[in-house]
Amino acid sequence: MNQLKSRERTIREVSKATARVLVVDDGITQRMFYRSVLETAGFVVEEAVNGMEGYEMALIHPFDLLIVDINMPKMDGYAMMRMIRSDAAVRMVPAVMVSTEGEASDVVKAFEAGANYYLQKPVQPDELTDVARMIAGVAL
Amino acid sequence: MGTPLLERFVGEARDLLQAAASALLVLEKQATDEAAINDVFRSVHTLKGSVGLFDFPAFTKLVHAGEDVLSAVRDGKLGLTSDLVDVLLDVLDQVGAWVDDIDGTGALAQGADGISKEMTARLRTALPADYGAAQASPVAAHAGDLTRVDWLGAIPEAERLSAFRAAMIGADLQAIEYVPLDDCFFSGEDPFILFRQLADLHSLVVEPTEPWPSMEALDPYRCVLRFRALAAAPPVEIETLFRYVVEQMRIAPISPHALVSVTGGASGSPVYGDFVDQARPLVLAGDWSALKRAVGALLQLTAPALLSASALRWLEAVLTAPAPDKGWVNALIDCIAEGEEDLHPLEPRTPPSADIPNLAAPIPTALGGLSPTAARILQSQRTILGLSLPAAGLASRLDSVARTVENFLASEGLGAAESTAWSAAVDAAMVEGDCAPAIDLLDQWLLVGGDSTEAVIAAVMMAGGDLPRSRPEAGEHLGHEIKQASRILKVDQAKVDALMNLIGELVVSKNSLPFLAKRADEVHGSREMSREIKELHAVIDRLAQEMQSAIMAVRMLPVSEVFDRFPRLVRDVARKLDKHIDLVIEGGDTAADKNIIESLGDPLLHIVRNAIDHGIETAAEREAVSKPTQATVWLRAFQESDQVVIEVVDDGRGIDPEKIKASALAKGVIDEDRAARLSDQEAVNLVLIPGFSTAAKVSDLSGRGVGMDVVVTGVEKAGGSVTVTSKTGEGTTVRLSLPLSMAVTRVMVVEAGGGMLFGIPMDHIVETVRVHRDNVRRFKQAEAFVLRDAVVPLIRLDHLLGEQSQVWFGDGSEEDAVLVVRVGGNMVGLMVDNFREGMDIILKPFDGILSCIQGYSGSALLGDGRVLLVLNLKELL
Repeated sequence: MNQLKSRERTIREVSKATARVLVVDDGITQRMFYRSVLETAGFVVEEAVNGMEGYEMALIHPFDLLIVDINMPKMDGYAMMRMIRSDAAVRMVPAVMVSTEGEASDVVKAFEAGANYYLQKPVQPDELTDVARMIAGVAL
Repeated sequence: MGTPLLERFVGEARDLLQAAASALLVLEKQATDEAAINDVFRSVHTLKGSVGLFDFPAFTKLVHAGEDVLSAVRDGKLGLTSDLVDVLLDVLDQVGAWVDDIDGTGALAQGADGISKEMTARLRTALPADYGAAQASPVAAHAGDLTRVDWLGAIPEAERLSAFRAAMIGADLQAIEYVPLDDCFFSGEDPFILFRQLADLHSLVVEPTEPWPSMEALDPYRCVLRFRALAAAPPVEIETLFRYVVEQMRIAPISPHALVSVTGGASGSPVYGDFVDQARPLVLAGDWSALKRAVGALLQLTAPALLSASALRWLEAVLTAPAPDKGWVNALIDCIAEGEEDLHPLEPRTPPSADIPNLAAPIPTALGGLSPTAARILQSQRTILGLSLPAAGLASRLDSVARTVENFLASEGLGAAESTAWSAAVDAAMVEGDCAPAIDLLDQWLLVGGDSTEAVIAAVMMAGGDLPRSRPEAGEHLGHEIKQASRILKVDQAKVDALMNLIGELVVSKNSLPFLAKRADEVHGSREMSREIKELHAVIDRLAQEMQSAIMAVRMLPVSEVFDRFPRLVRDVARKLDKHIDLVIEGGDTAADKNIIESLGDPLLHIVRNAIDHGIETAAEREAVSKPTQATVWLRAFQESDQVVIEVVDDGRGIDPEKIKASALAKGVIDEDRAARLSDQEAVNLVLIPGFSTAAKVSDLSGRGVGMDVVVTGVEKAGGSVTVTSKTGEGTTVRLSLPLSMAVTRVMVVEAGGGMLFGIPMDHIVETVRVHRDNVRRFKQAEAFVLRDAVVPLIRLDHLLGEQSQVWFGDGSEEDAVLVVRVGGNMVGLMVDNFREGMDIILKPFDGILSCIQGYSGSALLGDGRVLLVLNLKELL
C-alpha cells in the first residue's frame, strides 16, 4: 500500500498534472476493468457507454487519452474517432482503440479511423498501464 | 462470491443474455430485421469480450462459437431457421446456467468443458461448410499469439536445422505451445494424435508441466504435459487442426534467424583460418555453389561437437536458400573465424522485411533500448503516418500523432534534443503538407529503412505478449474499492429496504405530533404551543410523504421485467403444441413495486400456459370455425388508480360455463341447487376455486393437477385479486389487479371487543352498512341479513376473536355496524362495534414466537403509540 502511494506521488511530481482518460465501451465489466487498472496507475477515469456519448464527453472535458471500443450501439468506435479527428478542438487527443479482433486489416481500419494504437482484447493490466502511460505522457 | 469485477460481470452477462434472447425471437419472426441482428450479435460479442477477462475457457469457447454463427447470419451467409434459433437459445440457456454457477460458486460447474465442446460442435455444424476456412482468422485471433518463445534453444540442433532449411525454401515457420487441460483424456482429446496430424512437424518436445510426483501419487489419467513444437505449416492449417482446443494453445510465427544458435567446443585449428580467407571473396562474388562445396568439404574434416562444426552446419543451411542472406553468411563466417564465442540467437544483419523481434528483450533503437510496447507505440505512429489518407485528413492526423509522440518522449524521460527534433519534423511536415519529414525521423529512431507497414501491423497484432497471459490476474487485480459507473446505480435491495423501514418509522413517529399538540393544549394549557406543533407536523408530514414516494419510486420496476420472458415461453410452448400464436405485449413500461413485479412471475406463467394449452385451439379447429389460424395472446399492463392491472387475453375457445358447472358438480365443489342458480359469469369464476381444474387430461405444460387457485393464492398474497371473464368461442380474459406497492397497506380501522382496534385490509372490504337489529335473521346457530336481495351471513367479530360480546348498541340507535367483506369469492358481513377511519399503515408481520398466530397478518404502530392488529380474514373465516 505504501509502495503504491509513493508511486502515485512520483507520478504526480514528475509528470504533468494528473492525466485524464476517457474510456468508451458499452460493456460495463470492461469499463470497470479499465477504471480499476487505470485508477491504480494514477489516472483520472471517466466513462462513456457509446460513441455518441464518448464524442460529446470528449468535447466538453479535456482528456489526455481516449480508450475506445469498436463495436458499440448507437455509434461505433470508428465513427466516433472519425468525428474526433475532424473536430479541430479535440483532434489532437491521442486515442487507443480496443477490440477482440486481431487481424492486420482490423488494425489498419482502426488507424485509418484515427487511432494511435490498437490493443486486442483481452487486454492485460500491465500492458494497458504501460500503453496509457506512454501515450498520455505520464512518466513512471 | 469473487471480486467486484466478477460480480459486475455476472450482472452484465445476465442483461446481455436477456437482450440476446429477445432479439433472437424478433429475428425469428422477421429475419431481415437488421437492428435485431446487430443487437443479438453485439450482445454476444460484448459478452465474449467480458468473459475474456476471466479464466472460464469453456464459457469463452462456447460464446465464441455462438458469435461465429451470428456473424455468419449477419453477413447473410446463413439463414436463421427455427432450428438454429433453438440451438442458439439452448446455448444462451447454458451460458445463463454458467453465469448462475459463477454467481454461486465463482466457477463453472463440473463437466462444463464437455458441454461446451458438444454445443460448440452443434453450432459449428450449422455453419456452411466453407465457412470455417473463411472464418479461420477470428479463431487465430482467439488462439492468442505466442509472443515469448524462449524455448527454441532447448530444441536439438538437428531439428532446428531441419526447420530452418524448410524456412529457407519458403516455408512458414510456426512455434506451437499446447498445454492440454488436466482432464483432456476424459473429453476424448489425444494431444499426440493432434500433432501427428501436422504434416510438416519439425520438432516436438514433450515435457511435464510440473515435476513428476512419486509413483504412488501419480495419477495416470491426469494430463500434466506441455507440448512444444515447430511446424512449417500455415497458421490457418494449424488452427483448423487445433480448433477445439484453441484456448489451450498458442502459436507464433517464428523468424528463421531465431532458430540459429551456434554452440560447441572451441578449436583453434589453422584450417578454419584458411577456410575464412577462401570464403570471404566467394561471398563478395556471390558464388554460393562454390561456398557450399567448401563448407561441405570442411564439415567432413570437423569433429561434430565443435563450435566450428555447428557454425558450418548452420552456414550450410543458410546456403540452401535460393538467395542466401549475406548478413547471415558473414556472421557465421565471423563466428568460424573467431572460433570461440557462442552465437545465439543470430541477429539478422539485414532484417528480413517481415521480422519484428517479438522477444521481451529491449528493442534497440536510436533512442536506446525500448520495451517492446514502447517500440510498438512508435511503430504504430509511423504506420499511421504512412497510411494513404486524403490530404484533408493530414493535418488532423499529424496533430494526434505529434501529441502522442511528444507524450511518449516525455513519459520515457527522453532529452530535449529528441523533442526539438520531433517538433521540427512535425512543423516541416505541416508546412510541406506531407508527412515525410516526420516519417523519416521515426524511421531513423526505429532503425528502419524503407516502408515496413506490414511488419508494424504484425507487431501490433502481437501486442500483449511481453507478459505471461494469466487471465485470472485481471480479476484479482481489483482488491480495492471501485467507483461504480455513473448514470445507472445498481443498489442492493437490502439497502433500499432499510430505507423503506426507516421512512416507515418516521411516518409513525410523525403521527405522534398531533397527540402532542393535543396534550400541549389540554394538559399544559398552551394553545400557541399546540398550534406551532401542528404547523410543524404539517411540514414534516409533507416531507415524509415526499420522501416515502421517492423511496418507493426507487423500488419501482417496469412490468417488462416479467413480460420479457414471455416471448420465449410462448414461442417454445406454441412450437411444442404445434399452434401458431402471436404474442402481443402492451404497457411493458408500467411500473410497480419490485416485490409485486416478482410475485407476478409465477401466476402469469401459469395463466399464459393455460391460455396457450387450453384456451387456444389447434390450427385445424380454428379453421373449422373460420377464425384466423394464427391465434393471438395479449399481455397487457396498465395502471388503474392505485392498482396495476395485468390482463392476459386470448382469442381462443373461451370457457364453457356449462362444462364448468358440470365439472364442479362432479367434483362436489357446488351442489345442484346452486349450479342451477349460477349465472354464466359466476360459473366461469368457479375455475378460481381451489381444487378445480378443467383440463380433460393433465398435459405436460399446464394443469399439473393444480388449477387457477395457485394463481389466486399467489396474487392474493401480494394483496391483489383475480377475475376471469370469458365468452364461448371468442376468448378468455384473466385480469390481475395488484397494489402498486406492498410497502404501504391501506386498512380500515374498526372497533371490536369493547374498544379494541383492529385493521382490516381495504382490498377485502365491499361496503359498510348499518343493519337494524330487526333485520338480522337467525338460522339455527347462524345469523344473516339481506343486502339488496342477497342473503349475507353475519358473523360477529367479537366471537370470531374469542372476545366477550359487549351489550352495546353503537351510537344508541338499534343498528349494528356491519362491514361487508369478500373473502374467496363469498360475501360475509362482519359485525363490529364501530367503524373508525381508513388509513395507510406500514404493516409489520409478526416475527419470533408470534409468527405462528393464525388470523393476523401483522401489526402496525398508530400515531398515539397504540398497536393496531391487522386481521387476516382468509385465515379467520
